[in-house]
Amino acid sequence: MRHRFKQRCSTILGCLVRFSWPCVALLQLFAIGSVAVADSPSQTEAHRSVYQEKLKPLLASRCFSCHGGLKQEAGLRLDTVELMFEGGESGAVISKENPGTSLILSRVSDPDPASRMPPEGEGEPLTPEQLSLLKAWIVAGVPAPADERPEADPRDHWAFQPRTRPAVPAVTAAAWVKNPIDAFLANGYERNGLTPQPEAPRSVLIRRLYLDLIGLPPTAAQLALLESDQSSDWYTQLVDQLLADPQHGVRWARHWMDIWRFSDWWGLGEEVRNSQKHMWHWRDWIIESLNADTPYDEMVRQMLAADEIYPDDPTKLRATGYLVRNYFSFNRTPWMDETVEHVGKGLLGLTMNCSKCHDHKFDPIQQEDFYKMRAFFEPYHVRLDIVPGQADLAQDGLPRVYDGVPEMPTYLFVRGEDTKPDTSRSIQPGVPEVIAFKEIVIQPVSLPKTAFQPQRQPWVIEAHATSAAGTVKAAEQSLTQAIEKRTAAERAVAAEESKAAAGTGVAIAGPSTALANGLSAAGEFRDDFSAFDSARWKTFGGSWKHEPGRMLQGQDGATQSALRLASAPPRNFDVTAQFTILGGSQWRSVGLAFDVSQPDPSQSAGADDSQLMIYASAVDNGQKVQASYTTGARWEYPVEGKVSHPIAIGRSYSLRVAARDTLVNVWLDGRELMAWRSPIKRRDGAMQFTTFDCIAAFHGVLVAPLADSVKLREPTVVPTPDPTATPAGVPLEAARNALAVARLDVALSERSVGVAQAKLQSVQLRGDAMRAAWAAEDVPNSPAPPLNDKPARAALQAEREVAIARAHHRVAEVELSLAKATEDKKPAIQKQLTTVREEAEKAVKAEAPPGDSFVELIGAQWSPTRFRESRSDDKTIPFQPTSTGRRRALAQWITDPRNPLTARVAVNHIWMRHMGKPMVSTVFDFGRKGNAPVNPELLDWLASELVDHQWNMKQLHRLIVTSAAYRMSSSTLGAESNAKLDPDNRLLWRREPIRLEAQVIRDCSLSIAGTLELAIGGPSIPPSKQADSKRRSIYFFHSNNDRNLFLSLFDEADVKECYQRDQSIVPQQALALSNAQLIHDSASRLSQRLSAAGGTGAIASLDADFISEAFLAVLGRRPSPAETATCLESIGVWQGQTDPNEPASTDSAKAHLVWALFNHNDFVTLR
Amino acid sequence: MPHFCSDEHVRRHLPRRTFLADMGMGFTGMALGAMLNREALANTAAWSPPNGLPHFAPKAKSVIWLFMNGGVSHMESFDPKPMITKFGGKSIKETPYADVQNPDKLAKERAPVPDANGNQRNVLFPLQIGYKKHGQSGIEVSDWFPHTARNIDKISIVRSMWTTDSNHGAQTQFHTGRHMLDPASPTLGAWAHYGLGSLNDDLPQFISIGTREYWNKKDGIYLGPAHDAVPLRIDPTNPLDFGTPERPFGKKAQAEGFSLVERLNALSGIEYPNDPATAARIASYELAFRMQQSVPNVIDFSQESEETKNLYGLNLPHCKEFGQQLLAARRFVERGVRFIQIQHGGGGAGAWDAHSGLKSNHTKLSLAVDQPIGALLEDLDRRGLLDETIVIFATEFGRTPGSQDSDGRDHHPFAFSVWMAGGGIKGGYVHGATDELGFHAVENRHYVTDIHATILKQLGLDSRQLEIPGRKRLAIDHGTPIDDIIA
Repeated sequence: MRHRFKQRCSTILGCLVRFSWPCVALLQLFAIGSVAVADSPSQTEAHRSVYQEKLKPLLASRCFSCHGGLKQEAGLRLDTVELMFEGGESGAVISKENPGTSLILSRVSDPDPASRMPPEGEGEPLTPEQLSLLKAWIVAGVPAPADERPEADPRDHWAFQPRTRPAVPAVTAAAWVKNPIDAFLANGYERNGLTPQPEAPRSVLIRRLYLDLIGLPPTAAQLALLESDQSSDWYTQLVDQLLADPQHGVRWARHWMDIWRFSDWWGLGEEVRNSQKHMWHWRDWIIESLNADTPYDEMVRQMLAADEIYPDDPTKLRATGYLVRNYFSFNRTPWMDETVEHVGKGLLGLTMNCSKCHDHKFDPIQQEDFYKMRAFFEPYHVRLDIVPGQADLAQDGLPRVYDGVPEMPTYLFVRGEDTKPDTSRSIQPGVPEVIAFKEIVIQPVSLPKTAFQPQRQPWVIEAHATSAAGTVKAAEQSLTQAIEKRTAAERAVAAEESKAAAGTGVAIAGPSTALANGLSAAGEFRDDFSAFDSARWKTFGGSWKHEPGRMLQGQDGATQSALRLASAPPRNFDVTAQFTILGGSQWRSVGLAFDVSQPDPSQSAGADDSQLMIYASAVDNGQKVQASYTTGARWEYPVEGKVSHPIAIGRSYSLRVAARDTLVNVWLDGRELMAWRSPIKRRDGAMQFTTFDCIAAFHGVLVAPLADSVKLREPTVVPTPDPTATPAGVPLEAARNALAVARLDVALSERSVGVAQAKLQSVQLRGDAMRAAWAAEDVPNSPAPPLNDKPARAALQAEREVAIARAHHRVAEVELSLAKATEDKKPAIQKQLTTVREEAEKAVKAEAPPGDSFVELIGAQWSPTRFRESRSDDKTIPFQPTSTGRRRALAQWITDPRNPLTARVAVNHIWMRHMGKPMVSTVFDFGRKGNAPVNPELLDWLASELVDHQWNMKQLHRLIVTSAAYRMSSSTLGAESNAKLDPDNRLLWRREPIRLEAQVIRDCSLSIAGTLELAIGGPSIPPSKQADSKRRSIYFFHSNNDRNLFLSLFDEADVKECYQRDQSIVPQQALALSNAQLIHDSASRLSQRLSAAGGTGAIASLDADFISEAFLAVLGRRPSPAETATCLESIGVWQGQTDPNEPASTDSAKAHLVWALFNHNDFVTLR
Repeated sequence: MPHFCSDEHVRRHLPRRTFLADMGMGFTGMALGAMLNREALANTAAWSPPNGLPHFAPKAKSVIWLFMNGGVSHMESFDPKPMITKFGGKSIKETPYADVQNPDKLAKERAPVPDANGNQRNVLFPLQIGYKKHGQSGIEVSDWFPHTARNIDKISIVRSMWTTDSNHGAQTQFHTGRHMLDPASPTLGAWAHYGLGSLNDDLPQFISIGTREYWNKKDGIYLGPAHDAVPLRIDPTNPLDFGTPERPFGKKAQAEGFSLVERLNALSGIEYPNDPATAARIASYELAFRMQQSVPNVIDFSQESEETKNLYGLNLPHCKEFGQQLLAARRFVERGVRFIQIQHGGGGAGAWDAHSGLKSNHTKLSLAVDQPIGALLEDLDRRGLLDETIVIFATEFGRTPGSQDSDGRDHHPFAFSVWMAGGGIKGGYVHGATDELGFHAVENRHYVTDIHATILKQLGLDSRQLEIPGRKRLAIDHGTPIDDIIA
């Protein structure tokens, strides 16, 4: 099995930058172990092979980076024996005369770490085994192969050479060749004795193009049409059609988002620590740019420097999300490190990050080069610009970059430690010399006023006004609602007053209020005791008596009595009882008992009897609501089931008890009092309302099954009763209180409207004043406008009106909280009220201090950093009239056609995503540690095609997908010889199958079900809404904190780095595909659609036709006879199932069959 | 190999078996790994993946990894420091131990990445709990951990841990050995899983229970997602992500469906022979099917005695949740699961993060974990499992001897405590020490990977032999076993 193998310098070299000790340079170190030197064929030969197989790799990994082709510290190279003899500044490192004392031996075995090689901190010392091996070889006379060659000059590395356009090779298999790509590949086949696999069946090609180019499968109708298309250019027609489809941009945007590390914001809780809010603007820019065929070089320039190149164009400024994404609130160094690392890896295929602490160990990149690259980015910061129609940056805003700290120096960090900057000189922006084909010229950019005074953007003042008007509207709506509530509260008081006058009767609140007494269809049982139906109740003990509107238990004394439901109660129930305790000697308990096993509760209980009870007790000095239970004769009163609560005599209470299995929640007068788990198991038994030592009246009861939607709380935290909750059954006193609160709520809402209106007025006047000031300011050569001109004064006055409105609002707030407060809190709130009232008076009387000016409306906001303190923002970094031009210069250098890396790296990424494997397998490392391209001429030819066609990507897509290579079958059938010669398909003699990406799998399942929504763009869909969303997966909120579970199981892109997706196959994927609602829904929808009555092509029965249509829809092909037969076997099983829990039906068998196809390996595979 | 359903299905599977035999593939965990970039490995002839056998005779088979998110106060758990109480309210400068803040001394600490969280706090905050000697060893343990203390003679405490991240990225660091800002690395559990594979083909071999919100949710990283922990919940009706059909699907009908999927996948071998992805897909369905049946059985406690359940505190609301997790861990260990990672205290940066109100915080949380932990040690012991099971109690860093916000402690990466028991670890033993204030680890200092090395050694693994080409690790990544605590 293959293993993922992504090279990353930082791990290879172990740039353990978070430690204060320096990195250790190590390459793969082959296990040396003890080597027995053989006697034959000869000692020398044995030593030569030890050198070749063990020692040279050891030297290469431990010494060559300083003493080889890349560097020659002390003038010494060790990459051939000849060079060792040549030696360096200290002379030869191998002594012919006295090999045992050779310099190389004494240096690597020196006990003093200060002089031992490799130097301390740059590599572990050689082990004793390695030392003895080295010594034995030297003593044996350093036998080496005759043709030993020194390491090549790193500057000659292929990827650093200028790109040229190779000639298309002539090939003999001309008939197979469809375009030059094929000629290059055919050349490779001919040289290696390979035969390309035949073209894939048309149905496979169609599905391949659809999934590759738009990420969605063809419908059965599209397939049928294309399969029967007789025209010779059906294929290219389809390619053009798909490339023009807006979904093409959606599909390929996701690829580039992997490479460019798209991420929504993440942090701790609500605190943004990484990336930014509203990053979707950048995502939409990627989609739109691809659909508009924006050239690759132009996209790169915009991402790096749109704020310098197009400072006034918000649509292009979105591109700088590429840099915004690196924002890290706590520390500048990781922010800058990531920027340099991923500009290097993503755009240039260079592992610049390896040179943060030391010179690069493989590539001619100096440590200083890392900081030169950082210097391009040193000045930039992040801000959110206001977008049209929304001034609230929490709701929307454009995340973008700007040069905020142009003077910030860049220092080299000694050994990469940011606590050790070398402040002796400031590093200037620059690029590694090996790829510096031209001088970087940096020219500052004078920005338009709208860029550094973003409030001048024409939509900004309007956006503030729109938002302020929206607030007014929302406040008015809240006011309307508050007034409605007040009206309802007035009615409730009136109703209670009339009831109180009548002396009896209660309203039973519950799931439904429209029911008459009796058992409803929903299984609700209700009784307001307006009459007494003896068929519905049994009484036990006590002295029960019906009066209109109540059941009275009139017997005093320490015995229990019960009013029992004649019918069986629901197991999981939601019961409300209204009662009044009228007296009793001591305990005065009234409650609800359930799961009562005793036929007659007034008799003594047997050993097996049990019941549960929730009751209220008006006992003196200990009023409470208590959960209790009995098994056998003994009652238990668990301490966690007790809530102390005042229970008054003569006052009516509404006790609500809801139970789901052993979890019980209790409310009194609508306030949640208790969440309790019964320690005894639930059992079937009677339900009854009980009294103990209590004279009491029941006014009404409601018994309902507990709805699934009612979420019960677990007994973890003791709830604080909310004194403001409106009681469920509203007795008069509570109703009056509620009305008082409702009236204050209206007053507060009125104040809110007042504040909103004042703000709107202030926004309008401040906007007017700002426009007036600009008009004056923008007249050339005019003096500064006077500060207190008329619009400015009006704006200032409007702000004061806002302050006054706010002060009044505050008073109303405190008045409301006073009304809601419990008695013990009231004095403190009363005090507060006095204070805020005084403040309001002050605000009304306040005069603006002379010289004061209004606060301008903002057009953008700096995204604050917390580099110094974790709990407060750093000092604001203002917007500058000039940008340094550094990033523009870098962008121009990266996208210069002469840049040897940019086009090669981009082409490799595009090729990999079409063909299933890259040409350079280390897609982000084109340096010397990376792998060489399999077909370097083809890579360069394609790169030249890209550049020579103005970096047009659709042209490149077209070229690749119309090649014969792309159209080959991925099967190895009949290719035994190829498989032997090139088992890994390096030379692409067959098409490489692809395990589809997470997003494609989800999108396909929705698309096949016919439920996928194809709308393009907009804010990311938050995790809470993803389950119900039918939009393409690219729109799902996706950050390091939050990813969709289903997608994550299919190797979803890691936002920190994803240059190439994994294609794993793990059991969790099998569970997801077989159990996820997403797949089940899609399966049943498709099976219903296929058999929809009256529809064209509807298939009524579950037979071969249905199987065939299902294959076509899910897998894009018809089944083979063997597959049909296999499906029919299972259908037979499903239809013949006799299990009463699984009633067999044709519909369910159809859904099962489609489900199985969604679980087929071919569904998640691009064949 | 267990199968989906009846003999009849087995009979119908025959063609597939032939097909798999043609593939020449074994079905260990390896068959399910990542399927990419083969040629990169082809260049490294000498390398082959682990074969699932230990490198040398193991002392332990399984690991139960208890991790307290947020940072437990070392001074108020397993490293009592009376001097903090004695000089409580005084600035460190005013004590005889002012030297702990000697800049030279601090400079020698591995510099944490600067972060405004994790400041040194200078005014000493007295210990908020008492402590007593326990067991024959007479080791002092704080009164917040009486049940653990009862088992002290089974435990080795390491009191001299240090790390470099002063913020909660140290959670990642404790599990991977790398700072959170470094490139992601596999966790210890992933390495163990990668090296040793499976003891039970019906269960996930590497399990994660509890929340790990702040640190990376993945384990395998470059070893591949096959080595990620499988997240489990202690809920028999829904223990596993996508563990049960989210729409009604009868058991028999589902079994037939799995069988059909398998047969159809096998049939695709006619058109696409020798496709390793197809073979891996088939194997993944087999394991998935078994997992969805086996996992709920393991976390169904109905066969456990009341005595056992009460021992773990399942009858007590305050420790029921953790008790269930630990009881489940024991049941998984009994069935051969290698590595069970249990995170306590989810939410935000971790519940133990007592910047303020340390006393009430640690009182509540120790109440939640201590009794189940004591129970786990005793239950494993009486079943003869402790000998082959390592139990480790860890956290990401310690807390400051000085006070923060009057009644809390800040993050403290310079010193903290970890303990281990079972699996060939000494009992009743203390290794390493901090200074009088618990400020610096001063004796036998250990970076977090020394814990990894110790555990791997007990499992019979040499982490250097597990390295894969292109992913050379440093000496510090491998760590050094703490031989002193090994029996």
